[in-house]
This record gives sequence, structure tokens and C-alpha cells, in this order.
Amino acid sequence: MNRWTGVADSLEEWLDEVRRDPQIMNQVTHWHTLPARAAVTRALPSALHPKLAAALRGRGVGELYTHQHEAFEAVQGGANVVAVTPTASGKTLCYNLPVLQSLLHDDEGRALYLFPTKALAQDQVAELQELATAMEVDLKTHTYDGDTPPTVRTAIRNAGHIVVTNPDMLHAAILPHHTKWVKLFENVKYIVIDELHAYRGVFGSHVANVIRRLKRICRFYGSSPQFICASATIDNPREHAERLLGVPVTLVDNNGAPAGEKHFVFYNPPVVNKQLGIRRSSVLETRRLAGMLLRQGVQTIVFARSRVRVELLLTYLQEQVKGELGPKTIRGYRGGYLPKLRREIERGLRSGEIRGVVSTNALELGIDIGQLQACVLNGYPGTIASTWQQSGRAGRRQGSSVTFMVASSNPLDQYITEHPEFFFNRPPERALIHPDNLLILIDHIKCAAYELPFEEGDTFGGEPLRDMLEFLAEEKVLHHSAGRWYWMEQSFPAHNISLRSAAQENFIIIDLTSGSRVLGEVDRFSAPTLIHEEAIYLHEGVQYQVEKLDYPEKKAYVREVDVDYFTDANLAVELKVLHVDKSVEAGELERQYGEVTVNAKATIFKKIRLRTHENIGSGPIHLPEEELHTSGYWFAFSEAAAARKGTSEMQHALLGLANVLIHIAPLYLMCDPLDIRVVPQVKAVHTKRPTIYFYDRYPGGIGLSERLYDVHGELLRRARELIASCTCLSGCPACVGPIEEVGLLGKSHALELLAEAEASR
Amino acid sequence: MSGLRERMLRLRGGTPAPEQDPRPQTEPDVDERKTAEDGPGSSARETAAAAASMAAFDSTDHSEAAAWARLQVDEHVGEQGSFLLRRVEHALDARHGLHVLGELAPAAGALAAFHRADPEAPLPSADNLLFLDLETTGLGVGTGNVPFMVGIAYAAGERFVVEQLFIRHPAEERAMLAYLEQRMQGRSYLVTYNGKTFDWPVLAGRYIMNGFGRRREALRHLDFLHPSRSIWRNTLTSCRLSHVEEERLGIRREHDVPGSEAPAIYFRYLADGDPAPLAGVFRHNELDMLSLAALAIRFGRLLGGELQLPEPEHGEERMRTALWLEKMGASDEAERRYERLTAEMSGAGPWALPLAARDKKVGNWRRAVVLWQKIALQAEEAAAPCLDAHIELAMYYEHRVRDLKAAIRYAEAAERLALRRAGLERAGGSARAHLTAIRSRLERLQRKTNKGNGSYGGQAHRRSARAVDRP
Repeated sequence: MNRWTGVADSLEEWLDEVRRDPQIMNQVTHWHTLPARAAVTRALPSALHPKLAAALRGRGVGELYTHQHEAFEAVQGGANVVAVTPTASGKTLCYNLPVLQSLLHDDEGRALYLFPTKALAQDQVAELQELATAMEVDLKTHTYDGDTPPTVRTAIRNAGHIVVTNPDMLHAAILPHHTKWVKLFENVKYIVIDELHAYRGVFGSHVANVIRRLKRICRFYGSSPQFICASATIDNPREHAERLLGVPVTLVDNNGAPAGEKHFVFYNPPVVNKQLGIRRSSVLETRRLAGMLLRQGVQTIVFARSRVRVELLLTYLQEQVKGELGPKTIRGYRGGYLPKLRREIERGLRSGEIRGVVSTNALELGIDIGQLQACVLNGYPGTIASTWQQSGRAGRRQGSSVTFMVASSNPLDQYITEHPEFFFNRPPERALIHPDNLLILIDHIKCAAYELPFEEGDTFGGEPLRDMLEFLAEEKVLHHSAGRWYWMEQSFPAHNISLRSAAQENFIIIDLTSGSRVLGEVDRFSAPTLIHEEAIYLHEGVQYQVEKLDYPEKKAYVREVDVDYFTDANLAVELKVLHVDKSVEAGELERQYGEVTVNAKATIFKKIRLRTHENIGSGPIHLPEEELHTSGYWFAFSEAAAARKGTSEMQHALLGLANVLIHIAPLYLMCDPLDIRVVPQVKAVHTKRPTIYFYDRYPGGIGLSERLYDVHGELLRRARELIASCTCLSGCPACVGPIEEVGLLGKSHALELLAEAEASR
Repeated sequence: MSGLRERMLRLRGGTPAPEQDPRPQTEPDVDERKTAEDGPGSSARETAAAAASMAAFDSTDHSEAAAWARLQVDEHVGEQGSFLLRRVEHALDARHGLHVLGELAPAAGALAAFHRADPEAPLPSADNLLFLDLETTGLGVGTGNVPFMVGIAYAAGERFVVEQLFIRHPAEERAMLAYLEQRMQGRSYLVTYNGKTFDWPVLAGRYIMNGFGRRREALRHLDFLHPSRSIWRNTLTSCRLSHVEEERLGIRREHDVPGSEAPAIYFRYLADGDPAPLAGVFRHNELDMLSLAALAIRFGRLLGGELQLPEPEHGEERMRTALWLEKMGASDEAERRYERLTAEMSGAGPWALPLAARDKKVGNWRRAVVLWQKIALQAEEAAAPCLDAHIELAMYYEHRVRDLKAAIRYAEAAERLALRRAGLERAGGSARAHLTAIRSRLERLQRKTNKGNGSYGGQAHRRSARAVDRP
């Protein structure tokens, strides 16, 4: 420690100091140290082309890590491969080596690379071009996306050895115009898909179908490319790859990359109101920890869960280190920044000029920003997989790194901080996709028919193809003649089909108090109850009233007010079971999985006086009803159980339980928390009993409820653990919900109900 | 099946199926939409050439065979299978609007100007042109857009032959493409309207889809959309073929079925097998072929410098025509037309400024200055005057003649006009921006005058002053 500046000589020394600081350590629920790991390497494969070997040696790569070596050998052996390795383990060589090897031997060969975003694609091209230059070969690598100038497109189609693009472009521009890409499709040897874990849920289900179409076109041109994929650590990489690609896949996961010592610190902000279970804001605690790191001169990345939080933390941190560090040395990074600015920030991080960055999960993917020393997570990122990805941004091959996870008062965060063993011992989540979701599948059958007529005996996906084709022929989209189904419609189907889920469309909140500025955003499904007209919207403790909700344009206009009430909207949810697919009855509990329809409509809102909570008025909400047909899972308590409690007690118990379950459900699902919904009903129409329903927030379902049906027992056990270990007295936002919502006895009622449920298993 | 249908309808109940967007959907870089050039037509007097072949269409027997017979359509059976073929011959003295088909042979040679940069391009003649026009099931050049009718036309001895290849269902496409391939043999040029970006790319894709492999572009293009746009972009409200032919080729179509309606008519035929409604599509396509021939005659004769038609009244169109001729290498003919235009037009219309710009570029200062002065004179009297000529003149006197006094005179006049104009405009209009530029020009001119180095200014100084004028 330099006693004049208070700056520690090394991160290790600073961490020792932190360990002696009770103010911090009292809030640390777990300090986990992952020991340093030495590199495990193999000699460059003897089969490696001499030019490629020389280029690697020229860049200081004299040996390969075991996973790179194994991936190379597996691809040479003809296998489809998915490589799973942590951040910064040199995974790009896993696919670049075999691809370059093949191109060096056969100049006519082609490869297609898919990345989920344009930025990643551009990074990749830069890296490939460097290698090509080092080898002194004329290797044409190009991105092909919306930004590609029309003048070079023809050249790329005919002469690009490696075409780097994204699934959306493949879907809407390349496949429907495959006759312009004959050279590529006739000669494609490899299809490389990086960030495989990003293709899950609705997006993944669409992409799986785009890949079915891609394989179909390749077959038409007589090629059968091998797939080489890379994925972050998930529970089921091989299964996920096989479902996404529809081919057998070899898993390569023997990571041989070295890593320095890594500290993982769980930090729970102090409780400021024990009765209400309110903790100090995670934003303020994040600011404190990140500020300390930055003042120590430690290059730090801060992850926040929303764009608004990114901006907030950025402002706080810039203020905090003002005078010590220039304002340009701490930057924000999120979707919505222009590509040029993003590139500048990435460069600054690599060179070390930028000392701190506050980001959304936009920096979670493999964009090259070099390796930082410290990472502060503002809130649990939502999945174990994301947490490791984000934390992996800090960690050098030598020397220590540290990650602080600052919990918010959200039940999931609280569960994780209080049960670190869950995080460290459990495999990360499973990536789920459901490519045979009927709506998704039929959309892609249309696109596929546009690309190439279907023939008798063809298959596409898991549903009987003939039925689908006949259906489309009846709809006058296809024409059946001479044993083939032809596209016979004027439209261009790919343009009406977006691969990305609708849940990503948010409502923007615009504050008109002085001029107009964007205050924040609200997801589409919460909008009817949170920002209906006349609603009081709270933002950082300030009250705003919604003056106008432009539903089609997804904008809410608000103005600052000072009133003594808040609003509470009533969402009438009607849920009908259409069909039961699976059913188990055990003692007092019946659980089922099947098809449901959900009708949701915001009906009225109440104005409730602050503190006294008396109802001082109400008004109607005029917004369209939403109807959804999807898959659901539900469990119902017996009539005997229902009889043991009064209706209102049962209501509070169910509501409390539902609140907990919906928050921990993402533990088992790799999904956006908004993709799965819960509805408790005291006397459900279908079961006539107290029932808790879960349903997928996407027409036709994407496999989430089905997974919950399978892990039902574990889900309930976790819920009980969480409620039991919560420090609040009788319910708080971190467990069953605030007492205003679940009543004074909500917590104990929920526990009783759970005990009954578990006893009956 | 019924189970699937039920499930589909149930699921769609939740999310209304995305509206089928009827607007053209295309890959952004390449697609010139066919139908954009091919919208609603007009009605009136039918042309003589077409009338003969179309007369048979209006009878009323209802059997399918009879219906095809009435359309003069026969089955063609080849090695690759069968499809339908309608063949119509026109005599060379048949008139189509202002032109007679027999004019094609003498006019064709001058079309060589389209490929003058290509030393291997053969001389176009009536015998090596193949006129081509597709009717397709959709828009764009995506792989799901099927040409259900391929119209071709060519000269054969004393006849002008139109052949229309038609598929009764998509499985006949292969046979149709094989036939088209035969017809292309021995021809050197495809004559189309937007065929470079639409008809040919569609066909190239269809050859690949049907297992013919990649077709090299064996034939060169004579795509008449481009010259039509060059000449008529400001004088016609649209450069659709049907509009151009009506306005400039003297052709009137009666009861025309617009190309945009053709897909729906074809889908109906696929569903009910009744050929009768297709009559309109055959007729439309045949007229397109004849109009292409008329355009070939028009452009050939223009390029040959021997068009006898009266010059159009629009100075604009005359100027665009001459500019196009110049671009196509017919400089002498272009120059004759520029001269006639400036001599015959009394004032200076909107055509004058682009012509002056052309003259400035090639260094023909004499005529440029005359034109600018004419325009400037008119501007002095206009309520919302155009400033460009004054500024051009100010630049001319400053840099070329080095007559600072004259330059200042024009700049001051420009300032006056800009003020007049600004008075008519809302805040933020372009006149105010001009005003600022004019004032800094005036300041610079005054500075030069005061330094007295205006007429003796050094090379470096002059260059920097010019840089201001040509940012």
C-alpha cells in the first residue's frame, strides 16, 4: 500500500484489505476463490498446413490448448462439433483452424459464419483477415448484412471464401435468393455458428428452422457442410446443438486455457427496514464498490440489467471519480449506441485508456474488449450461464481478478446470495427451444416452399409435413401438382416473419415536464397495468402521471406530479384449459401440463392513498384485450386443503407462493423472466380447486412450462427454502411479496400450503 | 389434417396472422420491381397490329378446349414435356402507334450505341434481336417468383413473330425453359424493359432451380427502361411502358389488364382451370412485345439521327434527349439538337440551366454564358426568382474573365433576388442559406477589389477562391 495515495500495490493486496474491512465483510454472504489453473497444451497437429502453422507461430502460438486441438481433430475426422469453453479461452481458433486448413487446401471451398449480432461479425472478419495476411494468401472474408454496400454484394456472393452474416440476414436475404449464391452453396464445407447459447427460446426456435432451410438448400446444390459451433457454458450444450442443427454433434469441453486466480464475492446490501424487508439500493452499493475499484486503478466492468440503470450508474460513477479520472475514462455501453461509438469504446478498453465501463448484457457476448481485472454485477444477471459469461470479462491468464455480485431485493437475487452452493454446485441452465411450435414451423415451411418446392416424401421438422402442406394448399399459399408443392402467392414470406421475439418490444416513457426526455421503458406485457392513462408511475422515487398512452406507437407521455396516492390496476386474467397432455396425481396435489388459452385485459385502476391505503377513487382502463393460446403447467390443491383455509387466507397463500415461484422459475429455464407467467386462482374453472398456473408467453408455447412440469418437486422445495430463510417478519418484496399484497400472515400461509404440497408428494 | 387445421386456427386466434403485405418485398440491393414499371394501363383506340390478333378473343363458347382455341393457344410437346404456346405473326407493314414494324430492320443497326464500349458486340439487326417480357406470380427476383408466361418476339423473314409460352402448372416450367433456350440460340440481344434487373435475373434463377445449371449471360441486353428514364423522367408522370407508349408512341390500349393483376388471374386459373380470364393477360403481354419493338425503332432512329417526327414541345424533353444522345456517343446529333433548341426556344425554360451546366463542363463558355444571361434576365422579373444563373455568372466573371466589377454586379443582383425570395419563405428556407453564401462571396470580391490584385491574382490565390465555389 502506498501510504500517501491509499492505492494498493496490487489487486491481491487490496483484496486482503477488503477482507479486513468489517463494513464490507458484514454484507458479504460468500467469498469464493477459484484457484489459478495452468495451461494444458498439445503440439500443433502434424496435419496442420505449414503456412497456417507458421502464421500461428508468428503470433506466438506454438502449441494449442487441449480444446482447440481436440476440436481440430474432431472436425478433421468429419464430425460436427460444439466447443464449450469459458470467455477468453481462444475458442475462435476452434473453428478458424479447421476452416482455414480446408481453404488452404482447396481455394474453391467456402464457409458460412453466423453470429447473433453484426458487431460480433465485424470482429471476426478483422481477426480472419489478420491471419490471412500473416499467411500471405488471398482469402476473401466479408460480412454480409444490412450495412453491406450494394456495390460489393455481387463480389461477395461469387468470390467470398468466408461469408460472415447473421441468422436474420440468412433468413430474409440469402436463402430466398439462393440462386445468386450458387458458388457458396455448391462449395460450402463448413457452417460456423458461434454463441450457440444465444439461440434459445423463440429466437432459437426460429433459428433452428432457418437451419433446416439452409440444410435443404445445401442438399439441393449437392453440398453437405459440417457444423462447427461454440457455446458458453450451459447445462445441455450437446443436446441443444443437436436440436438446433438436427445432426449428431461431438462435444468438446476439455478447456486447456490457463486462468489466474478468481475471487467471486456475493454481496447483499444491508437491511434498512427489517419489518418491510427493504434493503439499501443495489445501485448505490454497486456505485460504492465500483468506485473503490476505480480509485485503486483497477480496470473494471459493471453490468446492469437495464439501459436506464446503465445510464444511472454511469452518471454516478463519473461524478464519483471526477477530478481523479477524466470523464472519458469511464464509459457506458449498450444497445442504442452507434456502432462507431461502440468500436471506439471497445478499442479504449483493449488499450487500457478506458478504465471503467458500465454495460448491459450487450458486452456479455464475445466482443473483443481484452481482459479486465474486476467486474461488478448490479443484480443477479438472471441465469447462471450469464453470470459466468459476465464475470468472465474480468480474469486474466495471469494474476487475480475479482467479481462482486451485488444482490437486489428481487427474490431470485436473494435466493442466490443466501444459497451460494446453488450457484457454484449446480450446472448452468438448459437452453430450451421448440422448433416444432406449430406457428413457427408453418412460417418456415412457407419460406422453405418459396425457396424450393417440396416433393413427395420430403420431411421438415417433427410434424407430419404432408398435413402442413395440404393445409397451406387449402389456404391457397401452395399449389400441388405432379407430386410437388409450389409456392403460389404474390408475397415474399420471409419479410413478414421476424426471428426475434415480440417480448423485446418495450414501451418508452417520455417525460414532458420540461421539454421531453426519455425517462425509461416498460415491457409490453406490463404496460397495460403500469402505464395506462392516469396511472401514477414511480421513477427513482419521483411521481409521474401518465397523460397519454400511445398504444400502437408504444409510447407513454408522463408529467411530474406531487400527489398523496398511488394507482393499482386490475388485470382480469381468464385462463381456460383446452387440452391436458400430461397429468400426475399425488396425494393432495394434482399437476398437469397441456394447452391453454389466456385472456388478459386491464379493467380498472384504483387510487390508493399513501400510508393509510384507503381507496380514494377509481377509473376505467380502455386497452385492447390480449388473447394467447399457449402451453401451460399447473398444480391444484385438494378440496380438503381448500377447506382448511378461508377464501381470503387461501388467496394470500396462493399469491405469495406464486410470487416466489415466478421469481425462481428462471433458475430452471434459460429465458427472459417475462417469457413465463404465473396465475394463481382460488377456485379454478378447470380444476375447481385452488390452482397455480404457469404458461409460456408465446403463442403455441416454447417448452418452458413443460420443463417446469418436469422439475415441479424441486421448484417447490426451492420456494420453501427461500421463504423460510428470508429475514423479514411476515412477507417482503424479496420473498412472498409485501404485506400490502399478501396480508399480515401471507408468509406463514404460503409456508403451510407448501408443507402440505410437499407432504403429499 | 383436420386436427392440424383446428390447432392452427386456435393458435392464430391468439395472434392474428401477420397481414400479408401486398407491397413489393425485395432484397434491397438488386430489385427493380417489375410491376413498378407496369401498372394500370389506359383504354381507347387499339392499335392496328394488335387488333387483328385479338379479334378472336371475344366469343362465348365455354368448353376449356374451345377457350384455348379461341386464345389461339396450342399445346407444345417437347423432349422435356409439354406447355402451351400461342404464336401470332404480324406483317411488317402493320402499324403499332406511330411506327410500322417494318421500320425495325433499318433502325436496328444504330442500337449498336448501347454496346459501343464492347468491341465484340455484333451489329444489332432485326434478325439478332429477341424481345422478351415475363408475366410472373409475384414481385422481386426471389426464388419463389415463377414466370408463368414468357413472351418473346423476333423477326422472321417478312413477319414479326410473337410467341407466348404459358405453363398450366409449375411442373411445366422446365419444358418451357428448354424451349426458350432454343429460341435464344442464334440471337445476340435480349430486348426488354427493365430486363437487366428483373426479367433476366428471374430467368437465370429459374434455370438453376430447374437443374439447367448456371446460365452464362450469353445474350447482351438492350434494356429500354434506362433510356426512357433518361429522356422522360421529368416530362412524363411515370416511365411505365404503358404510359410511355401512350404519351410518346401513339399507342392506346383498350381494356388493358394491368401487369399487377396478372398473378391473381393466374392463381384463379390454377384453382378453376378456366382459361377465359387469361385472355387479358395474353393481350397485355403481346402489346408489351409490340411496344418494345416500337421503342427499338424509336431509339434506333434517334441514334441514327434521322427521326422524322416533329420535335416535342417541351424544351426539357428535347434537352434530355440530346443529353442522352451525347451520353450514347452520338455527339454530333446531340450538338445539332442543342443548337436547334437554343435557337428555337425564345426564353429560357427549366431546360436551360442543365444545358448551361453541360456546356460549362465541356468548356463551351460561349453558349453557357448566353444561357445564363437569358435565365438571369427572366429571374429579375420572377416573383420567386432562381438565383443559380446570377451566381454562375458571378463565378464566371470572377474566375474566367477576371472582371471583378461584373462579378460584383451579378453577386449584388443575386443578393437582391435572394432577399426577395427570402421574403416569401418561412424561416429556415433555402434562400437564407443562399444569402449567407452570396454575402461571403461579395465580401471576398470586395476584398480582392480593394487589394487591387483582382486581375493579377497569383495562381495560389485563384485556386483557393475556386475551392470555395466547388466544395
